[in-house]
Amino acid sequence: MSASLAAPPPRWPLGSLAAAGLVGLVLLLAVFGRWLTPFDPLAQDLLSINQEPDAVHWLGTDHLGRDVLARLAAGARLTLLTGVGGALIAFGLGAGLGLVALALGDPLRSLVLGFFDLLRALPGILVAILLVAALSPGPGAVMLALGLTFAPMVAEVVRGSFARETAADYVAAARVFGLSRLAVTWRHILPNIAGTLLTMAAIILPRCIVTESVLSFLGLGGAPDIPSWGRMIADAAEFAEEAPHAVAVPVLALSLFTLSLSLVGARIRSLADPLQRAGGAR
Amino acid sequence: MSGALGLALPTLRALGLVAAITVLAFLCIGAVPGDVVDVLALQGDLTADQQAALREEMGVGRPLHERFLAWLGPALRGEFGQSLRFGLPVSELMWNALPTTLKLAGLSFGIGLLLAFVVAVGAIARPRSALPALVQAVNIWSVAVPTFCVGIAAILVFSIWLGWLPVIGNLWVPALILAIDRAGELVKPLYDELKEQQGAPHVRAARAKGLSAWRIGVVHVLPGAVPVLLALSSVGLAGLLGGSLTMEVLFGLPGIGSLTLNAVHGRDWPLLQAVVVLLATGVVLINALADLLHRLVDPRPRR
Repeated sequence: MSASLAAPPPRWPLGSLAAAGLVGLVLLLAVFGRWLTPFDPLAQDLLSINQEPDAVHWLGTDHLGRDVLARLAAGARLTLLTGVGGALIAFGLGAGLGLVALALGDPLRSLVLGFFDLLRALPGILVAILLVAALSPGPGAVMLALGLTFAPMVAEVVRGSFARETAADYVAAARVFGLSRLAVTWRHILPNIAGTLLTMAAIILPRCIVTESVLSFLGLGGAPDIPSWGRMIADAAEFAEEAPHAVAVPVLALSLFTLSLSLVGARIRSLADPLQRAGGAR
Repeated sequence: MSGALGLALPTLRALGLVAAITVLAFLCIGAVPGDVVDVLALQGDLTADQQAALREEMGVGRPLHERFLAWLGPALRGEFGQSLRFGLPVSELMWNALPTTLKLAGLSFGIGLLLAFVVAVGAIARPRSALPALVQAVNIWSVAVPTFCVGIAAILVFSIWLGWLPVIGNLWVPALILAIDRAGELVKPLYDELKEQQGAPHVRAARAKGLSAWRIGVVHVLPGAVPVLLALSSVGLAGLLGGSLTMEVLFGLPGIGSLTLNAVHGRDWPLLQAVVVLLATGVVLINALADLLHRLVDPRPRR
């Protein structure tokens, strides 16, 4: 260990710290948001439409007099759940199915990789649009669509890492000791590519959340009575002139949240990677 | 590998992909609950008899494989049937919508590439300026901030608050938004590649010979970055088609994106099927072309 002369840079610089705070805030909003305001996210109050933020409605009301803060909280819940669910499905398919197929080899390997090639040949949003249209709309369909849209990206990375690791001596050694292909993959290769998978998760999750919002914005999200951020944006966009705050709030929330999520992801990635860690003496 | 085989295999693969997507899209669309008659019935108060007659006339009630075979023959000749909603030939609708989408995608790709290039080369040439930080900032921006949010923000700010210009129907605003997004995705890999090329032995040799910085940059560094640029461009163009779908809907542009959404909401399956086949063929073609160019400029065998 060699001591570095200059003071090491902080592990969490101010920008990343602010981003982490914002991600935490959205999580809190999603979990405890329903106790933050007395208003129901669906309750219309036609006597107080398009109100600017004040002491009663902290973030104002929309064109139907619904409380924007209550809807933001309910939307955070749905957007987060769908996004995380979609990312999990993407990893289950791309990494889970992908690794099993790679471990077992042909013909399963060609079949699975060919399937992912197929999905990749369409613009991601079109795959999602087709799938949501084909399955009856609802959060489950959106999650599956997100999963199938992003699974090829995960599979591509898994394929590259798998090829690199299989060439390593420790894999050959494990095979010589008589471990099956699946066992080698599970016990030896998976732990070695876990860091790469984590990095991928940090990239996929914000994209899932954005795509979910785009889908709901296009009217292909969950059921119409459940507010999600994309749906709030689509609803309020038509009345942007009368109540610009009702559009601005979800737009800002979505942009800042995905931006923060990406910054936190980048920070965790560089902390987890010993080669990138500043001042690391390896 | 002989040249002919090297060409034939990717072509076959591309054709296979398009065929598989066509079938898959047909299955997907066939599974969509409800059909165009349901949508028309909602709008026009049709009786059950009228609905049945309409289904018979349009052929939407027939089993999936019959519909597929009836569709396939004319489709191979470039005839995709009539749109169920608009009553016009699908190919006519697509031809009318295609220029808008191509203009939007082409403009944003061109501007984005130029932006990425200027920033990346500038950051290499002036490493002590703010430009390397700009590379990171534009990259994070593009990855993290959804283009449709930027689009709505642009509409809010320019059209409503400042009252400058009617943004709806304007092609340049969405093109610029998409361009910045594209530049962000291109700039970081381009910058990394250029940086790596700078330290390459042939570049150091050129510097040792005393060549000017410009000559080194243009003749020795840039050619090395072309393969990366090509690979990124093909991925980027596919992504751009997706991005332009939402932008068209947002800015009210009559392109393929608006057409697709209309087709989904109206259960207009001949139109939707044709759009999917068109887009898939476009993406596969772009990828095949980029692949071919990649082989031409970078003769090293790939993994």
